[in-house]
Amino acid sequence: MDVLLSYQTSLSANVVLLCRYLRKNGFNLSSTEEAEALRALTLLPVDSELLFKEALSAVLCKNRHQQSRFDELYTEFWDQLERAANSKVKDVQQRKNNKSEAQKKQEQFEALKKWLNLSPASEEKEVAAYSDLEVLGKKHFNELSEEELRLMFRLIERLARRLAHRESRLRKPAKRYRNLDIKRTIRYNMRRGGDIEKLQFSQRKQKRLKLVLLCDVSKSMDLYSRFFVHLIYAFQNAYDRIETFVFSTALHRVTEILDNNPPGEAFGIISERVPHWSGGTTIGSCLNRFSEDYGYSLLDKKTIVLILSDGWDTGHPELMRTAMRRIYKASKKVIWLNPMAGSPHFSPEVTGLKAALPYIDVMASAHNLESLRKVMRELGKRRSNAPAIKFPQD
Amino acid sequence: MKKVGLDTIQRMLREQGYISERGIAMSIYLSMKLEKPLLVEGPAGVGKTEIAKVMARALDTQLIRLQCYEGLDSTDALYEWNYQHQLLYLKMNTESGVSKDELERSIFSERFLLKRPILKAITREAPPVLLIDEVDRADEEFESFLLEVLSDWQVTIPEIGTIEATSRPFIVLTGNRTRELSEALRRRCLYLWIDYPGYEKELAIVRAKVPEIDQRLSEQICIFMDALRQMKLEKTPGVAETLDWARALAGMHLDHLDKQTVEDTLGVVLKDWQDMRHTKDALSELLEKTGVQSRIG
Repeated sequence: MDVLLSYQTSLSANVVLLCRYLRKNGFNLSSTEEAEALRALTLLPVDSELLFKEALSAVLCKNRHQQSRFDELYTEFWDQLERAANSKVKDVQQRKNNKSEAQKKQEQFEALKKWLNLSPASEEKEVAAYSDLEVLGKKHFNELSEEELRLMFRLIERLARRLAHRESRLRKPAKRYRNLDIKRTIRYNMRRGGDIEKLQFSQRKQKRLKLVLLCDVSKSMDLYSRFFVHLIYAFQNAYDRIETFVFSTALHRVTEILDNNPPGEAFGIISERVPHWSGGTTIGSCLNRFSEDYGYSLLDKKTIVLILSDGWDTGHPELMRTAMRRIYKASKKVIWLNPMAGSPHFSPEVTGLKAALPYIDVMASAHNLESLRKVMRELGKRRSNAPAIKFPQD
Repeated sequence: MKKVGLDTIQRMLREQGYISERGIAMSIYLSMKLEKPLLVEGPAGVGKTEIAKVMARALDTQLIRLQCYEGLDSTDALYEWNYQHQLLYLKMNTESGVSKDELERSIFSERFLLKRPILKAITREAPPVLLIDEVDRADEEFESFLLEVLSDWQVTIPEIGTIEATSRPFIVLTGNRTRELSEALRRRCLYLWIDYPGYEKELAIVRAKVPEIDQRLSEQICIFMDALRQMKLEKTPGVAETLDWARALAGMHLDHLDKQTVEDTLGVVLKDWQDMRHTKDALSELLEKTGVQSRIG
């Protein structure tokens, strides 16, 4: 490889430039890939441009998205190179990039300043009395005072953490005498002469569940969204792999915002960034968006999908149905938290919700802690074959 | 091993009845030359697994397959001791006065080692094709274990020592995107995405694989499948389904599609009752498309 890198013809220089260009466009390329691209080119006849392009595409693309974008970027690159012809262009380009980078930094800084001024970091008090928590259990979330809310969140966090660990089918050695591991027992004693002297045990490995949260932030959910954001936080802290989206008329991924900001601030940032915050809802199309754009990479049989919404959908119920079906099929479990379900007059008459019902494993109200606890218990259980729709009532 | 060039691969693919775009041959060629695994992704039934099979046939070497599933671990992928055999051997020899050291050495010898696919593949004399199928179904732990083997080309067995690879197999990994594979694994591989074939390509595939089929029927089948894939189905049918269907219809000695036949044989193509119902509802429309276009063609 070293040899190849050292003799720089204009072609190899251009290939390196191309790599740089691709890198700027989000390709994750290191010098290894560059060297490999050059090596690949030595294996080919030099006269065919098509082969040249194909080989580069084969070496430099690492996922489907990149493969589909490669052609376009490739053409763009040679166009630019041709137009440039002399070496000046490179400098100009770089200067342009530097400038935009500086601008970006400035913007980031401004934004940061704004957030800090808006909501000063709140310091949480240490209040812990278990009896208090028990009283809280049955109180409606709307009736809670600031202090009580804080207690509540700590309790939720605890519940969420307990759920984060589940057992896997893979086994690992254990010290406790529970399940005899025959394979390991024989193997262990074999090393010591063949008579069974010491037994070996195994236990199941812990497996972490993954969670996808879809949170409705439309007008009809206004009362609850503050609570929900805290709920999201509790989960975010307890689980390693959690993806969070908010939606009203459009879907937004907010995982990163939540990761990088303290709770009080993140709430403000999200409502700032997300247009239509507290506007109308088109749940169906948002869920559709989700399953199309993220379904493949985020959903699998270890993932629980938690939807927080009241089900007021202004879109077409058919859209809702297909989206929900797809999500249901690809995930471990679908749980719908609906604050309205807490009211005694509630029945799922909302058309959108009706369409979604067959594809919900657990529908629960999330209006007080008691009901939340029930949901938490449901989270870990296996899905029964026939979708059972439950309304845990207290 | 034979010297293989790019055009040889293309020719071999064609001879083996694998109709491919140019990109596929290029990826295979480069993965062989650069000695990098080839990661193939795409929807179900577009011939991902077939690539490895064709490669093995074309290179005239063995195909070793490792089917991945949740819970797959190194004892299934790499090696395991044949415990029962070891125990028996011990029982048989305790009376015969063989020294303990001798005995131990013989139990932990290759004789009692069960080689699993990966170890098998790297200890062959001629490099085989190692197909690691549906790698995204295995746990992430397995992925990192795989990376280790693929970068060191050696396997350490505590009782014996390190076994160096005698050959570097051609590795093909396939995935359905049920889980996003790690960046590290991607970087070690060449990547290839295979999509559903277009009409022309699918027609060529059908004709190559089902040579006895009527020309008009094959055209209609491919147009129908194309239209079917435009619908939003739960399980979009792949090429494998097209071929099954073509074989079924050819076996019935039909020379064109009609509504009744399609309705009766739809189960060959669609594997989900919801899809079935949707398609039956839209069948007249679909067939109209098929009929009209085939008359023009």
